[in-house]
Amino acid sequence: MTFRTIEKKNFPPFIEKLMPAMEVVGVREKVEGKYEFALLESPSQLCLDYDVTLLSPKKYFLPPRETLLKFRTGKTVSCEAVLASKPLAIIGVHPYDLKAIAQLDRIFADANSDEHYRKKRQDAVIIGSDIRRSSPYAFCKSMNSATVQEGFDLFLTDIGEGYVVAVGTQKGQDLLAQWATSRAATKEEVAKRSEIQEKIPYLFSLNTLTTPYDELPRLLTDHAASKLFDELAEKCFSCGSCNLVCPTCYCFDVQDEMALNLSEGERFRLWDGCLLEGFAQVATGENFREDRAERIRHRIFRKGKYIYEKYGEHGCVGCGRCASACLPDIANPVEIFNRLKEGK
Amino acid sequence: MKPKIAFFDFASCEGCQLQVVNLEAEMLDVIGAVDIVQFREAMTEKSDDYAIAFVEGSITREKDIPRLKKIREQAAILVALGACACIGGVNCLKNFQPLEDVRKYVYGDKADWYETFAARPIDAVVPVDYYIHGCPIHKDEFVKVTKALLLGKKPEIPTYPVCVECKRTGNVCVFELGLTCLGPITRAGCGAWCPTYRDNCAGCRGLVPDPNTNAEKEVLKKYGLTVEQAISQFRIFLGYSEVAK
Repeated sequence: MTFRTIEKKNFPPFIEKLMPAMEVVGVREKVEGKYEFALLESPSQLCLDYDVTLLSPKKYFLPPRETLLKFRTGKTVSCEAVLASKPLAIIGVHPYDLKAIAQLDRIFADANSDEHYRKKRQDAVIIGSDIRRSSPYAFCKSMNSATVQEGFDLFLTDIGEGYVVAVGTQKGQDLLAQWATSRAATKEEVAKRSEIQEKIPYLFSLNTLTTPYDELPRLLTDHAASKLFDELAEKCFSCGSCNLVCPTCYCFDVQDEMALNLSEGERFRLWDGCLLEGFAQVATGENFREDRAERIRHRIFRKGKYIYEKYGEHGCVGCGRCASACLPDIANPVEIFNRLKEGK
Repeated sequence: MKPKIAFFDFASCEGCQLQVVNLEAEMLDVIGAVDIVQFREAMTEKSDDYAIAFVEGSITREKDIPRLKKIREQAAILVALGACACIGGVNCLKNFQPLEDVRKYVYGDKADWYETFAARPIDAVVPVDYYIHGCPIHKDEFVKVTKALLLGKKPEIPTYPVCVECKRTGNVCVFELGLTCLGPITRAGCGAWCPTYRDNCAGCRGLVPDPNTNAEKEVLKKYGLTVEQAISQFRIFLGYSEVAK
């Protein structure tokens, strides 16, 4: 890995130069203390000391609503794919979200390549940055996502007078060479970066799993029939908020919509979630997961067992968004995993 | 042969029909697809030869019943239009007060001229085929349901709550902005219209098919509402449902 340094005074001009060349998205404060990834109108809007954003950058690769194809019906049926994508830079992505994106990359390229996702992903350059403060529900240390050394094109560490930039890919290197004023980082600067990163996991000391990462699947298998899921179901709205804010959830519903002339239309997909009542309902009306408790259990198994068995890592990166989005306070994976362990 | 459609209204502000008129440019496409034979808000001509009836408003007096039944007899398809027709809506607020007082309040010394009974949605009187929810309805949903009817398809109306659309939109939860919200138990489909503009959801699209109303009461309590205040939240639009009683 190579390291470059951008002086603080040279950082805003770097963003400014990117703006005419591509869409530049960064973390902005939406309302006091709540952050989101949104288009930057000026470098001053970028906020790198945020805790967590409302939604993850997943929304740029798998939009909440996305047109997949347009079709014409009638004597001859025709359809054409709609692949809408533009060059995009995303600035300020935290390690847990980088891990989530890397996981989605594997899932959307695995076996069944999703061109809509891939095109958007290829057109994006991702600039990560360190976690500076923990959100109340994050448990990144337990999910190995407090720091990462891969899954980004560039990665920023604030060392005070400047940013040490880890160069992760050729794409990142080219971006830096073309638009930024940077120099090779000194040994001292790289050492400072390591020192800063070593401390980051301790931000999450108060919120940890009592089960080691690799033993979660076993824990879930042993407690598949736990009454805990019924208890949580009593309070659950089935509103899917936990699914929809999750950076690794990728389920979607596909619908066709005709135009009023009834001869053309579009097929689109919408974010869906396994907590929603109609999620596992099929055309006959049969619902394979009618009970709330079954749906809650399914989600927890997705997060702590199924994805791990397929990809060797968990479908949860410890960002805590689900816990903060859940009004009845029942979606927090740490609490659920730890309670299962205690057998309560 | 374009299907003939007609609009009718009972106790309502007729704002849902106005939403149809508000389609403006798209209205031309609608007129291209259907033949409107009765629509008091938009035309003077009138015919009782129609196949699809869109009915706005709730039923609030005895003489509404035969009129609604006649519409039902004529229409092959009857669509409830807006919160008043679909769930009873704000008109049901009067059901929680002595009707005699309500009559006097509204009609003053002419109260005896006007009959009244407890407000109800139209499906309390006749079977309803389709529902276009909301106060007011969403223009896009009117178009969507109309298209589905023309295709002989079941319209895709969400069974999930408004929270889903808030999340898809990236909204800050209004509970975090100091408001209380019925979004978690209210049927989506409006695109989280009110919370997107930082107002709370008042439940105008009715309850989801399997609402966890106990959880909603608990959450409202957690955010500082008394039981009475929670019930009065429910009564704004959901007065006809059990949760408001």
